[in-house]
Amino acid sequence: MSAATNPYPPSRSGWLKNNAGWLALTLLLLALPFLAALLDGQTPANVLASETGNAKFMQGLLIEVFILAIYAISYDLILGVTGLLSFGHAMFFAVGAYATGIALKTMGWGLGQTLLAVIVASIVQALLFALVLPRVKGITFALVTLGLASVFSIVVRSSDLAAYTGADVGLQGVIVPALLNTNTARFRFYVIALLATVLVYLVYRRFVDSPTGRVCIAIRENENRALMLGYNTFTFKLVALLLSSAAAAFAGMLHALHQPIVSPNVASLGYTVAALLMILIGGVGTLSGALFGAAVFRLLEFFLDRWFGEIANSLLGLIYIGLVMFLPYGIVGTWRARSFQIKQGWDRLLRLLHLQHRAP
Amino acid sequence: METLRKNRTRLITLAALAFLFVTALQGMESEDWAITVLRGLSVGAVTFLVAAGLSLILGLMDVLNLAHGELFMVGAYVGWTVYVRPDTFIDVLPPLLLLAAGLALMPWQRALLSRLSLSPQVARLWPWAALAAALATLALTLPRFPLAIWNPDAFAQSPGAFALALDQGTLQMPAAAVFTEIAPIAGILGVLLGGALLGAAIVGLGLRRGGGAPTARLPRRPLLWAAALAAAGVAFYAGNDPLTAALFTMNSTARFFLSMAVATGVGFVLGGLIESTLIRPLYDRPIYQIMLTLGLSFIGVELVRAIWGRPEFTMPKAALFNGTGDGCPAVTLSDLLAHQCSTILLFDGRIRTYNEVFIILVGVIVLVAVWLLLQRTRLGMIIRAGVQDAEMVEALGINVRRVFTLVFALGVALAALGGVLAAPSIGLSNDMGTRLLLLALIALAIGGLTSFPGAAAGAVLVGLLQQFIIKYGQIGINLPFLAEPFKPSPPLVPASTVLLMVIILLILPNGLFGRNE
Repeated sequence: MSAATNPYPPSRSGWLKNNAGWLALTLLLLALPFLAALLDGQTPANVLASETGNAKFMQGLLIEVFILAIYAISYDLILGVTGLLSFGHAMFFAVGAYATGIALKTMGWGLGQTLLAVIVASIVQALLFALVLPRVKGITFALVTLGLASVFSIVVRSSDLAAYTGADVGLQGVIVPALLNTNTARFRFYVIALLATVLVYLVYRRFVDSPTGRVCIAIRENENRALMLGYNTFTFKLVALLLSSAAAAFAGMLHALHQPIVSPNVASLGYTVAALLMILIGGVGTLSGALFGAAVFRLLEFFLDRWFGEIANSLLGLIYIGLVMFLPYGIVGTWRARSFQIKQGWDRLLRLLHLQHRAP
Repeated sequence: METLRKNRTRLITLAALAFLFVTALQGMESEDWAITVLRGLSVGAVTFLVAAGLSLILGLMDVLNLAHGELFMVGAYVGWTVYVRPDTFIDVLPPLLLLAAGLALMPWQRALLSRLSLSPQVARLWPWAALAAALATLALTLPRFPLAIWNPDAFAQSPGAFALALDQGTLQMPAAAVFTEIAPIAGILGVLLGGALLGAAIVGLGLRRGGGAPTARLPRRPLLWAAALAAAGVAFYAGNDPLTAALFTMNSTARFFLSMAVATGVGFVLGGLIESTLIRPLYDRPIYQIMLTLGLSFIGVELVRAIWGRPEFTMPKAALFNGTGDGCPAVTLSDLLAHQCSTILLFDGRIRTYNEVFIILVGVIVLVAVWLLLQRTRLGMIIRAGVQDAEMVEALGINVRRVFTLVFALGVALAALGGVLAAPSIGLSNDMGTRLLLLALIALAIGGLTSFPGAAAGAVLVGLLQQFIIKYGQIGINLPFLAEPFKPSPPLVPASTVLLMVIILLILPNGLFGRNE
């Protein structure tokens, strides 16, 4: 986890210049639906009108990537930055999704009230996790959170609450307000999801760079030392949990609005494992790695399934093992640790191909 | 008095659990509670076999092996193959043994190759050439080895159909397969050569990276190993038909014990291979071990689906546990042994000999054996010391890496044994591993993560709780303020074990038997 020597460069001068790559990526993603539409023979007006086609389909896939990215980055904040190994993160996501679904479908509330309900639910569940926080540490904390999340998963699946949660089928056909309807106004939803991802990333990066975030990193590195220095580590872990829970529940809300189905699968252990895989692919504790990890995870899953069908899962397993072996600290982590060697190897390759005469 | 005060919370928890247990017994008829307790112990025994390996591996190496459930499943499927289709089992042996013979030459090849002085270009390129040659040779020979196998896609040829036929005594072994397209001698030599080339390529790639000082003498032991393995492979090939016939006509009890032994052995070898090739490079990157073992578990499930198919099927019980007719159900021990009854009468209730007696018996035997290994042998002493502080053990001059491999192999072997043991009672399915892994993790957390007696206690507790909730779901609990008896619904079964874990961890963060750290 301590792969990158200093993953968060403190310099804040020339913010735009430092983040030119991110800005370009955001603009590219904004333009992507139109480019895809042009390749497909549609006009930008078709995209804005949400007409079916490749562009619309691709937006749908990317919206899923954005939602997963928010979910993954929220996991990275507690696992990668603060060092809390939680196996109950799916609950953070599922509470947001279920709160949205119940508020919109069963209660018939408006969007504002729903957002409020999601915020309240996210705070309550973070406090619930904080309740066990002082008692258990390390892998025991992981198992207790796993237990809490499985109880939640069993509760939403149980037939006693079918009127609210829909038991095994989940909430089918959540009534989505026209403002955020992904079917009739997909480009609007796409922009909102993209901007939400960017916003969450910026807020998280600011948090990690702030004095509070620095203490969170210190807790990850050595909690006892942070205690000795006079920090009440519980408060800092609670702050990280609250921030993480808020973002994850927000991702869950977007998920419920986008699908618009809330299936009990989002509360299962498999969904926590997905978050774990995403940040492992991207690089633990790097924040930006979670975004790349989510993209790789979702696109890999989608395209492997489309191209190979039945054997996709075993290929996925092989790819994960290959990633662990050859990208030891995830995409971003390995890049930061080895960027010099990678550049050197690139130069050598160019020389080998006689594209470049002499080493610079 | 001092220890009493120190362990106050622990003692109170244990007393509360005992009180709950007695209360639960009071609410039932004697025949009901006897069978429920036995079933709970049986589930606990299988869970214990998985949890024991997990706890040893977690304690010694700090690796949370999430593929353990899938290895349990692989053990079940391998055991099924030996028991129901011994011909396939014998068919698979020769190519595997010949390949292993080629790979066993590796230490010898390393000594030989490190003496050569090659130009850098050649040294860089030849391992890849050897690898390509090895893969080509193996691709030409391995698929052509004769293999009589089932076919999950055709119903009459599916594993389920074979299991059913064996159970009804109408099983006919399919015709033995023979070499197609190539001469047998070419196939045998080809696999041997392919294995040797593969070994050379791996050695070459390793030498290129780190090198190694040339040794004074060529080691002789790898040659002996390779010769023995190759001879065994050829012998199994030559004796294929008589061996198959002998295994097939063998007493089914003996074949069942053989399948248990083979599954355990396969688990041992598999565990050793996984540790030495995949886990070893990751000891300093703990989180990534989780990703690796997760990837392995995906592959395990898909592999089992590809070979044995998706549908669930059963494993027939051996003759020793399947007797019916006069004298059954048995009332006394001598009756049981004389008629090999499938059921026993206990407090007027029928209990099944295999599910509720034999599984518990094996669980207890393994518990005692591993306990003796840990407490009474030198190896056990090293393992216990390693659980406390592996670095210190290494500093004392003990090759702790070899112990790591051994313990990993042992843990996987126990899980595989658990798999083949559970197969006749719960059947074989693709998700049996995942379900059991979760149960074993809960048992481990309750008992204390790295404590061996804790793993046993946690497993028994989880099994008992689960079975009591299931039983009370049928008969209902008379609660004080309710008119109707309360019947726990099926989702409460997994929820109850999880809740027990959460409660116990909140009271005792290190589990019932874990050390305070």
